[in-house]
Amino acid sequence: MGHWMFNCNEVSQKVSESMDRVLPFHQHIMIRFHLLMCKYCARFRDQLLLIRKAIRTEEDPDEDLRPSESSFPELRERIKQALRDQLKKKSD
Amino acid sequence: MSEEEMSACVKPGAAESVAKDIKERSDLKKSNTRRHNDNKENSHTKTIELGGDEAESWVDRYGEILYRFALVRVKDSVIAEDLVQETFFAALRGRENFQGRSSLKSWLVAILKHKIVDHIRKSVKEKVIENFDFQADQVEASFDDRGTWKFRPQNWAVNPAKLYQQKEFMDILYRCLAQLRGRQAEIFMLREIDGFSTEEICKELNITATNSWVMLYRARMGLRRCLEENWIDDPN
Repeated sequence: MGHWMFNCNEVSQKVSESMDRVLPFHQHIMIRFHLLMCKYCARFRDQLLLIRKAIRTEEDPDEDLRPSESSFPELRERIKQALRDQLKKKSD
Repeated sequence: MSEEEMSACVKPGAAESVAKDIKERSDLKKSNTRRHNDNKENSHTKTIELGGDEAESWVDRYGEILYRFALVRVKDSVIAEDLVQETFFAALRGRENFQGRSSLKSWLVAILKHKIVDHIRKSVKEKVIENFDFQADQVEASFDDRGTWKFRPQNWAVNPAKLYQQKEFMDILYRCLAQLRGRQAEIFMLREIDGFSTEEICKELNITATNSWVMLYRARMGLRRCLEENWIDDPN
């Protein structure tokens, strides 16, 4: 990549790499320049960021699937009991 | 090794203090991914004996959050409960390695995400795309000779702010995640779910920084493609 302009293939690699480290300044500028002109690469960048965000989200996702609040005490108790059982099994 | 690689990877011999840190993180990793070795639990027995009460307080504080998260992804209350239980048990086994690099909640959710992906991997075999592991030739095939897109990224009608409410998008994302294989999957999950840096990853897995960027790139290309082919086709 010694030339002064990145093509889409190179930009796609560099966009990904920029999610893992800070790129050298000149590469950063070259990417920005390309993204201004190329809507497909801009989309690609947005989509990678979207995927990252979606994987990292810890949001409670869906109202419909919420179990009734009243079932939680029992659930907690079952999980605790299962933990105790497993701990006991380990120490036997 | 090029200068670039050295800059991202820890230099051999100059890394005593870092090595300790990395080792601790790697212990953490071993405890919160699927690489449990159930036969080597003796050293943990003492921890477990001491940790039972603490784990129960985790259940009180985070049980519901984790359960809801799992239920939305696997849509089966029994499986969701099992996964949450496995998560707490894995956390208990690995608790000495939790160093507060993230919040306790984030750490537990990360363990749960691994469990969910593992579950989907076992249960939804080859349903989305076969040979999903994105390799060099597939990356090449995405571009023409001049390096421009052959398969142009399409417009995704998804509102990033309300991402987690887009049930279908998230379902397909997790199915696509479960189709990643081998090293590519391992590296990608460490990076995106556990939040490891590439320095930590290349030390842990003994690969170069350049290699890790290539693997992450291919995983992202593959995931993006998987999502586009399985979700974007929706006429709405």
